[in-house]
Amino acid sequence: MAFDSSEREALRQRFREFAESRDRGIRDELITAHMGLAEYLARRFTNRGEPLDDLVQVAALGLLKAVDRFDPSRGLEFSTYATPTIVGELKRHFRDKGWAVRVPRRVQELHLRLGSVVSILSQELGRSPTIGEIAQSAGVSEEEVLEAIEAGHAYRFTSLDAPSGSDDESSLSAEIGADDPALLGSEHRVTLSPLIAQFPPRERTILHLRFFEGLTQSEIAARLGISQMHVSRLLARALAQLRTQTEDES
Amino acid sequence: MATGEVRLEVPAAPEFLRISRIMAAGVASRVGFSLDEVEDLRIAIDEVCFSMVGPRGRAGTITLTYLLEAGQLTVDGAGHFSDGLGNEPVVSAISNQILAAVVDECELSASEEGPHFRLVKRHRPA
Repeated sequence: MAFDSSEREALRQRFREFAESRDRGIRDELITAHMGLAEYLARRFTNRGEPLDDLVQVAALGLLKAVDRFDPSRGLEFSTYATPTIVGELKRHFRDKGWAVRVPRRVQELHLRLGSVVSILSQELGRSPTIGEIAQSAGVSEEEVLEAIEAGHAYRFTSLDAPSGSDDESSLSAEIGADDPALLGSEHRVTLSPLIAQFPPRERTILHLRFFEGLTQSEIAARLGISQMHVSRLLARALAQLRTQTEDES
Repeated sequence: MATGEVRLEVPAAPEFLRISRIMAAGVASRVGFSLDEVEDLRIAIDEVCFSMVGPRGRAGTITLTYLLEAGQLTVDGAGHFSDGLGNEPVVSAISNQILAAVVDECELSASEEGPHFRLVKRHRPA
């Protein structure tokens, strides 16, 4: 994360250019340059029951806000300015989330481990494994597997602090998660409810494939090159967010 | 393959949906469902129960009856509410779309006793 003095000066110059032009290319460059800071801060929150990749996304959102609001003419270092913004975003994420049940560390760890267990088993079997097969492969009981899977669904009372899909946030999430270009045709957009259209590309793609195209979670995982457990987690979170939005509108 | 009936009665509050989901996953694994099918059922239970209790919950309970048969799981749900707020299940268009994608059958109804739903999920051997 540490920059040498010439890198720092170059970044300061880019911030000044961005302050004047608000150029998206420069903005993306500044975000990329400081992703290390977001990841570093996200790691400090990993003992609270959230997978690191989700936390990095939250931290990245804080970073994006910091880049947008940073005023280089005030002479402050960007990292000094951005750290409280990113930490604030992470804290808000936990506060608003209000996990219905605190997920114990062993369950979190098993949840993360099952990601690769399920991927390997699915490939070996050529189909979605049963809970019994997953338990046997992971060397744990079926009850532990069920508990670990449920851990990925503890998103009931989430706020809208996950990216809500404004143009800015979409561009960032497009960097974080790959999208399937074939899905961006007009037919895709027509079938999407306006609610779903607000999600960042990856969540939108997953919602579309699961609920409109009828692909299973494991098929979606294979298509997007991510683990099924991750698909499951993203779906659970997207559904919780959809629910909050539906309530807000009604 | 296990067959039988499992019943669960929980307070009609969102924080108890977790128990309904875990129960659904547990019985689904007993009838040999794949992880994909377990996940689908869990989403369905969550969606339909939430439509009954809403974000703030209701005064009363929800009874869930899981009927295990060979390669099939039926979930009957009934709300018993004492708050006089009406018995019609309110399901948004997007919830309907979600339910249609994750279960084979979904019926929602209302009677004087309260709202009711029935979900059927069948196992599809690969």
